[in-house]
Amino acid sequence: MNQIALDIRGLAKQFGAKIAVNNVSLQVPAGSFYGLVGPNGAGKTTMLSMATGLLRPDSGQALVNGVDIWADPQAAKATLGVLADGVRQFDRLTGRQLVTYSGLLRGMERAEVAQRTEDLLRVMDLLDDGDKLVVDYSAGMTKKISLATAMIHSPKLLVLDEPFEAVDPVSAANIRDILNNYVEFGGTVIVSSHVMDLVQRMCTHVAVISDGMLKAQGTVDEVRGGMSLEDRFVDLVGGRANNEGLSWLRTS
Amino acid sequence: MVAHVLSLKLRLLANGFKRSVGQLIGVIIGGLYALGMITMLTLAMWFTAGDIPFQSEIFTLIGSAVVLGWAIIPPLLTGVDLTLEPSRFVHFGIPEKTLGPALVLAGFISIPAVLTIAGLLGASLMWRFDAGALMLALLAAVATAVMAILLCQYLVIMATALRAKRRFRELTFVLLFVVLIALGPIVTSALAAAQSMSDWIQPIASVLGYTPLGAFAAIPGAFASAHYGQMAIHLALGLLYLGGLYLLLARATAKATVTPPPEQRAATAKGLGFFKLMPATPTGAVAARALTYWFKDPRYAIGVLIVPMLPLLFWFTGNQTGSYVMMFLLGPLIGILMGFSISADISYDNTAFALHALTGISGRADRAGRVLSCFLIAIVPVLAAAILPGLISGALWRIPGDLGLSLAGLLIALGVASVSSARYTYSVPLPGDNPMKTPPGNGMRIALTQLGIMLAMGLLLIPVLIPYIIGWVKQSQSFGFITLGAGLAVGIGLMLGGIALGGKWYEKRTPELMQSVILNK
Repeated sequence: MNQIALDIRGLAKQFGAKIAVNNVSLQVPAGSFYGLVGPNGAGKTTMLSMATGLLRPDSGQALVNGVDIWADPQAAKATLGVLADGVRQFDRLTGRQLVTYSGLLRGMERAEVAQRTEDLLRVMDLLDDGDKLVVDYSAGMTKKISLATAMIHSPKLLVLDEPFEAVDPVSAANIRDILNNYVEFGGTVIVSSHVMDLVQRMCTHVAVISDGMLKAQGTVDEVRGGMSLEDRFVDLVGGRANNEGLSWLRTS
Repeated sequence: MVAHVLSLKLRLLANGFKRSVGQLIGVIIGGLYALGMITMLTLAMWFTAGDIPFQSEIFTLIGSAVVLGWAIIPPLLTGVDLTLEPSRFVHFGIPEKTLGPALVLAGFISIPAVLTIAGLLGASLMWRFDAGALMLALLAAVATAVMAILLCQYLVIMATALRAKRRFRELTFVLLFVVLIALGPIVTSALAAAQSMSDWIQPIASVLGYTPLGAFAAIPGAFASAHYGQMAIHLALGLLYLGGLYLLLARATAKATVTPPPEQRAATAKGLGFFKLMPATPTGAVAARALTYWFKDPRYAIGVLIVPMLPLLFWFTGNQTGSYVMMFLLGPLIGILMGFSISADISYDNTAFALHALTGISGRADRAGRVLSCFLIAIVPVLAAAILPGLISGALWRIPGDLGLSLAGLLIALGVASVSSARYTYSVPLPGDNPMKTPPGNGMRIALTQLGIMLAMGLLLIPVLIPYIIGWVKQSQSFGFITLGAGLAVGIGLMLGGIALGGKWYEKRTPELMQSVILNK
């Protein structure tokens, strides 16, 4: 088995004059629960899009379980499950149809797809809503069904962009259990998040990215170096506004 | 406040052009074309002024046609630029009394509105030898344009409210059919009854002068012929209609600005639907998904809106000219139109296309699935349109030939669309948006693209057209069978070729396609 589940080598992307991702390299060890943190607009989504084949990088490589996703996309994508941030789903399908669709697109057998679809709906607590159109789902339900579409082919690597956004605490806890379980049995998870507490508790490894550059990477304990991850993060990223705030934002 | 809304609308218009060069080119070409037409009209009016028979009637008819056009075409067919949809202002606590008029005024900041005003002003020049009438005509032109735009806005808001209801689409179809069915007999009988132009132009124009359509436009004529009492009636009626319409519109706009977008009813579908019927392969899955969308997503139905209307249109044409030969072209035309309807498929997916990109589905399977779904939807209408005209007219010998050309049209169009949709995406209404919503300039661009496609199709169809035409001229069934054979061979070949080539391009360009659907352009 490959020791590095996701090997990002010098990925870079520029939009016009703005450098979104500046030559980032990072290694996600197989079997790790990897957190990717950074302020808004730091380039997390851009980097993950390039690592998952949605956005062509200006330069650099991304190896998914040893396969370069830009050289052999179909082979790389077969072992990869992605929850992309800010994309729609085929929301005129029902939840059950959508998960089935995701399985069949990957060329899986019908019986296996049917079995796994029901399992996924059950653990996502969506069995009662399986026949509803996804367009009528709440934001959290949509996240969960998207997560199900990313997991149906039992990928070796899961890349989840903001998986807990808009998800209620109970569902979030359930999803965390599923992910922990998945990592225990040898899977690798990358999550991007703003919630430092969550990352500190949940992840084994973490990378901090800001202004398109990698500020730190390693195990959570290495990166935070005795401080709380949140304090360390603010240290690394900087830009904490001096506390004058909005003087006019008073109710009285 | 009003100034803010107006400048917002201007800014949105300008930014819309900045987003996409193609759209801007479309706007420029369309605008130049319209300006050319208006210049021609203006020049014609200038030089023929005074010599035109029935001058006042013609001016009334022009005004009425403009208002009628605005009332029918945008709400039902092309849609309007709804960037300032009233419901977008739900969250701002702007007083209704300010916002209503502001949005109404903002409706005038659009290219078609400006062109309409210019055209009507140009038409008023037919009164240039009578200074008083000219002044009145210019004023009447502006008033008519205002009436047209207000009426259009009002009907669009009504249509938007109706859209929330399930039956809106069917209702649109029914309305269009009623209009079309009524139009044929009216025109036929009117034309048949009229011995000369004077027999029909005067009664029609005088009736129109009392309706919202032509009340203003009838004023200069009444003035020129010194019927001052009648002029006063037209003026009073016009102002009454305009005032009433404004009140209705301001109230509807104000209401729409405080009514949150209608709650969609939670829809359910039992089980797997088409996914159960289609083979459990990537191609089958794409076909099942696309079939579901053909039935659930109104954008697909709007795209082929013209198909059920074509037979009626051709029938009426035949009814009037006495020759039903156009009916034989229905099969090939419907085949081509329906086959090419999948050319915007990836644009319609919008960012849901990410699922295709992330699963790494092969380009061939993606293309083939979309083709399969469209084929299944199109095959029955195409077969009917190919067989029925020959059957009904008793010309059984021509059925094989018609079948051959129609099937070739459908299959080749599917192939061409498979290639072009892997390369070009368009700005389309977003999923769940008003399917009538059109970005400015898009219509022209689509028209140009489709012209190009029709030319390409014409070239590719040549091997089938040759035996078809020989068969038609000679009334030979054996040439019909040759057409059928050639049509199937060429059609299937080009469709498979299109899927293969389109699939190759698709795989090469998946990330670029993804980025362009994110921008929706």
